Amino acid sequence: MTIFTRRNVLAGAAVAAATAAHPGTATAADETKDLDAFVALSSALTGIAAAMLAPAVDPVQIKKQYFDAAKSSPSFDRLLQIFRDNATKPPEAIADVILNQSGSDVRYLGRSIMLAWYLGAWYKPETLAQYNSPKAPAGSPPADRVISPAAYTQGWTWRVAQAHPMGYSELRFGYWSEPPLPLVDFTGA
Amino acid sequence: MCAERVNDLDAVIVGSGIAGALIAKVLGNAGKKVLMLEAGAAMPADINGYMNRFLNATAKVPESPYTPEVFTNGKLTDYSKVNAGRPTVLSLNGKGQFGDWQDPRQSYLIQKGPLAFASTYERINGGTVRHWLGTSLRFVPSDFEMSTRFGRFVDWPIKYQHLESWYGEAEKEIGVSADVADQGYLGIEFAPGYAYPMPKIPLSMVDMAVEKAMASLHVPGVGLDDVRWAVASTPAARNSQPYQARRVCAGNTNCIPISPIQAKYDPSVTLAEALRSGSVRIMYQSVASKVRVDAQGRIAGIDYIRYERDDGPPMATGHVTAKVYILAGNAIETPRLLLMSTNDGRTPHGVANRRGLVGKHLMDHPLYLAWALMPDPVWGYRGPLSTAGIEICRDGEFRRDRGAFRIEIGNEGWNFSSGDPDTTTVDLINGLNVGQLNGDRKALFGAELVKQINDKLSRQFRLGFLVEQSPDDTNTVTLSDRVKDHLGLPRPQISYNLSDYTKAGLAAAKTTATAIFKSLNAQEFTKAPDADDPTSFEWPPQQAGGPKSRLKYYGAGHVVGTYRMGTSEQNSVVNDQQRSWDHRNLYLVGSGTFPTVATANPTLTIAALCLRTADAILKQDLG
Repeated sequence: MTIFTRRNVLAGAAVAAATAAHPGTATAADETKDLDAFVALSSALTGIAAAMLAPAVDPVQIKKQYFDAAKSSPSFDRLLQIFRDNATKPPEAIADVILNQSGSDVRYLGRSIMLAWYLGAWYKPETLAQYNSPKAPAGSPPADRVISPAAYTQGWTWRVAQAHPMGYSELRFGYWSEPPLPLVDFTGA
Repeated sequence: MCAERVNDLDAVIVGSGIAGALIAKVLGNAGKKVLMLEAGAAMPADINGYMNRFLNATAKVPESPYTPEVFTNGKLTDYSKVNAGRPTVLSLNGKGQFGDWQDPRQSYLIQKGPLAFASTYERINGGTVRHWLGTSLRFVPSDFEMSTRFGRFVDWPIKYQHLESWYGEAEKEIGVSADVADQGYLGIEFAPGYAYPMPKIPLSMVDMAVEKAMASLHVPGVGLDDVRWAVASTPAARNSQPYQARRVCAGNTNCIPISPIQAKYDPSVTLAEALRSGSVRIMYQSVASKVRVDAQGRIAGIDYIRYERDDGPPMATGHVTAKVYILAGNAIETPRLLLMSTNDGRTPHGVANRRGLVGKHLMDHPLYLAWALMPDPVWGYRGPLSTAGIEICRDGEFRRDRGAFRIEIGNEGWNFSSGDPDTTTVDLINGLNVGQLNGDRKALFGAELVKQINDKLSRQFRLGFLVEQSPDDTNTVTLSDRVKDHLGLPRPQISYNLSDYTKAGLAAAKTTATAIFKSLNAQEFTKAPDADDPTSFEWPPQQAGGPKSRLKYYGAGHVVGTYRMGTSEQNSVVNDQQRSWDHRNLYLVGSGTFPTVATANPTLTIAALCLRTADAILKQDLG
C-alpha cells in the first residue's frame, strides 16, 4: 500500500517532471530533468523532503554541486535509470532498490550521494566500498574533499540533530538555553 | 639579500599574540615608539580567508583556518620547507601511521618522548589565542602557593592579591562575560563593587542536564568526598552584549578555531588598537633569529630574517635596537630563540640562561576526555563550545597527592571525542561502527536514518578534565641538532613525560567522569586508547600491581613553563615582573613564566601579568 506523505507526494511530483524527458541529445531541458530526478532519488535515500533539499526559492543551488559530483561516477546514468524505472514506488522502496538490489557500484554511489547531502563532503564510492570489505582499514573512511564552503554550511546532519553546522548559526544569542524547534521544522518530514 | 636596520626605538616586541599585543597597546598609548616582529602572516582586512580555509578543510582542527597551510599536496606540510612552521594536532599518531608524531617530515616539533607533547600553537598575527575557546577563569589563591599549602613544587613570587586588580583590568581589556556572584569560590575574591564588563553567558541545555546530577553525586577515593558539587557558568571573552565594536555571540559552536562573527575576543582586536595608537609598527613574516648581548650583559639588539612566501627564500635580514626588549613568543618559541642566541660563544647556553633553567619545566593541562549518551536529548552542537564547568574540585588537600582538575562541559556532542557528527553519520549510512553507536552495523536510509541520527546526536555530550601537570625539570624544550626549518634555524625539540602525580590526577578524572555519568544515568562510551598511542599511558604504575588500564590524554592547547618566574636568580629565569634576572632590559612574557600550571586556562592570567609588566616597563624603564 502506498502511503501518501508530504514527502512522497513531493518526490512523485519531481518524478513526473523527470520521467517526461525525451531521449536524444542532452539539452539544458534534459539536464533539468536529470537534476529533478537526482533530487527525488536523493530525497528517498536521505529521508529529507525534496522541497527541503531543493526549495522552490533556492539561491544556494547546492543540488547542482552534488549532482555534478555524482555525475562523474560511471554508474550515475544507471542510477538515474534505476530511479526512473521505480519512480512510482514509495520512497523507502525506491531507496531499497538503489541500495540493496542494484549491485555494489550503485549502492556505494547512493551512499556517496547521501553523505554529500548530510555532510557536504564527497566520499568516493570506492572508498566507502573499501571500508566495507573484509580487508577494511581501521577507522572512518576519509572524505575525498569538502565539496565547497557552501556545501559544508548546508549539511543535513546538523539540521537532523536540530542544530546547525559548527561555524554557521543563523540563530540568536542565548538560543542554546532553550530546546530547539521540533525535528519536522528542520527536515520537513 | 639586503640588510635592514631600525634604531632609536623605545621597545621591540617579538610576537603579536595576546602578550605582545597587550604590552604594545599600553606602550603605544603612552606614546612610546614600539616595533613588533611577527614571524607569521599579516593581519588580513577581514576574516573571510580564514573562514574559507576552515570551511574547506576536511579535518577541522584548531590550526585549520590559519597559515602556513596544514596540508601541502594532500600530505601534512613538511615544515623543513616552511619559514615559520608550527605544530598541529594531526601529527600525534603512532609510529608509521599518518601523522607519525616522531616523523620530522610530519611533525614540526621534534618529539623525543617518552610521551608526546600534545598542545599546539600558531605563528601568525594574533598568535595562538586566535584559536582559543575564550575561557577566562581566574586562578584560585592556592594555585600561587603550591609549596606553602601542599608541600609541592614552588610558590609563585606573587599571590592572588597581587594580581587581583590586574585580573579586573584584563577582563576589561579582552571583554569577559560573567557574574561575580558565580565566581567567588575557593577563595577567589573581587574588589568591592566589581562587576564584569558584560553579563554572563547563559547555560546550555547540556549544562542544565549535568547540573541535575550534582545533588546526588558522590565520587569515592580521590579526595573529593566532601565536595559540594555544583555547575558554574564559565567566564568567557565572548560577547553577551556588543563590546569593542564586536557583535554579540550567536552560538556558532566554533570558538575553536574561529568565531565567524568575531564575538569571541582574539588578539587581533588589541593589535589593531595598538597599531591605531600611531606609535606602534609591526613587521610581519619577520622571524627573530638572535638576541644580541653586549659586553655589559645588556641586550644590544635583535636580528631577524624576513621572507615573503611561506615556503619562499629569505628576502632580507635585519637588526633592531631599542631601550627595552620583550620576547612574547610562547613557551616553546621563546626558549628556542633564547637558546639559539649564543652570541659567538659569549652566552654559550643562550640568553637569560646563566642558571640553565631556560626550556625546563614545560607543562600543559593534560586533558582527560570522557563521553556518554544522556538518557534524553540535551541537544548539543548548539551554543558556544562550552558555557559551564565544574570548578569546585580545583582545590583541596588532595593536591598533596595528585594533580587537581577543573571540568569543562562540552556543548559540541562528540565532536572532540569522535569526530562527530561526521563519524556517526558515516557509520549509519555506510554500515560501520567506528563511533560505537551502530553496534549492529546496519546501513540505514530514509526515515530510519533521520530517526537514528537525531536520536544519537541529540543525546551526545562530553566532559573534559584539565589536569594540573607537575613542573618537572626533565620536560624540556631544546634545539634539534639536526632538523632545521626553511630559514636554517634549528627546530624545537621536546622531551616530555607525565609524572605519577600528574597521572594520578588523570586517573582521578577518569573515576570522577564515570561517577558523574552514573549519577546522570548516562551510558558511557569513553574508549581506551591503542597501546601505540603516544598520548597514552598505563595506570596504575608497574610496581603497584593489580589490573591495569590505559588512559589517553589530549593537549589543552596550554603551552606553559620553560622560563619560570621566581624569587631569585637561583630558582628562576625572570622576576615577578617578568624581567630577566640576567639582562635588565629584557622581559620574557606569556605563560612561559608560570612556575606551576595552576587549575585554570592560562590566557586571562597571561593578560593580567602582561598588563602589570607593561605598567612596570612604563614606570621603571621608559619613564
